[in-house]
Amino acid sequence: MNIVGVAACTAGIAHTYIAKEKLENAARKRGHKIHMETQGVIGVEDALSSGEIETADVVILATDVSISGKERFEGKKVVEVPTETVVMSPNKLIEKIEELV
Amino acid sequence: MDIKSVLDDRVIRSDLFAVNKEDALKKMTEMLQKAGYVDDAAGFIADVMQRESLGCTGIGNYVAIPHGKSPSVSKVGIAIAKLQNEIEWETNDGKGVRVIFLFAVGTDNENAMQHLKLLAQVAGKLGNDEVVEKLLNAGSVEEIKTIFE
Repeated sequence: MNIVGVAACTAGIAHTYIAKEKLENAARKRGHKIHMETQGVIGVEDALSSGEIETADVVILATDVSISGKERFEGKKVVEVPTETVVMSPNKLIEKIEELV
Repeated sequence: MDIKSVLDDRVIRSDLFAVNKEDALKKMTEMLQKAGYVDDAAGFIADVMQRESLGCTGIGNYVAIPHGKSPSVSKVGIAIAKLQNEIEWETNDGKGVRVIFLFAVGTDNENAMQHLKLLAQVAGKLGNDEVVEKLLNAGSVEEIKTIFE
């Protein structure tokens, strides 16, 4: 499965980056391709390309705040969860998404 | 600039004694204040507690990442403490906390981008189970630093 997504937490200091790491590790462990963008106090990092978004089977928005560029995902299958869910149960989330897609 | 520049011996402890969350935050803030990261300790703790009220900063596996954007912060930094004992903390896995990363971030961040990026790197590593395992087994400040270098 091709997964793209964005992580963004309230303060943009810590959860954002932990969520990215956990989700990427969990997805790769199960053989998926994944790229997570982060939006935090340091701005946008690891930005998604339009090509990546186009070929993605699913978009994961691990967000506690509104993000910029949400319109990029129009028409895609989008799963929205709080960063806390990703931080606490990344494997369960990936398994659930596998059922969904 | 590499990650070493945010790993400051003066604000890292491998055997901090704290009776509870408040005590741990107070002691870690004192370290930050002494090392020149925080001007007003009480103000900083208030801002950290404000963030605590918004949701869990326990990330599971005995690790907590309290933080706050605070005008009391004069220099971006991070205090790290391994505790002598487990303390109670809001987490979703029902476990307590044995390692605390207290992030000090100011309100004007234009000039602190490089340091903030390094803080983000440290946070990201905490999302890696192997890193957390090593942290829980680390016995000295030097060992803690090595995990991130």
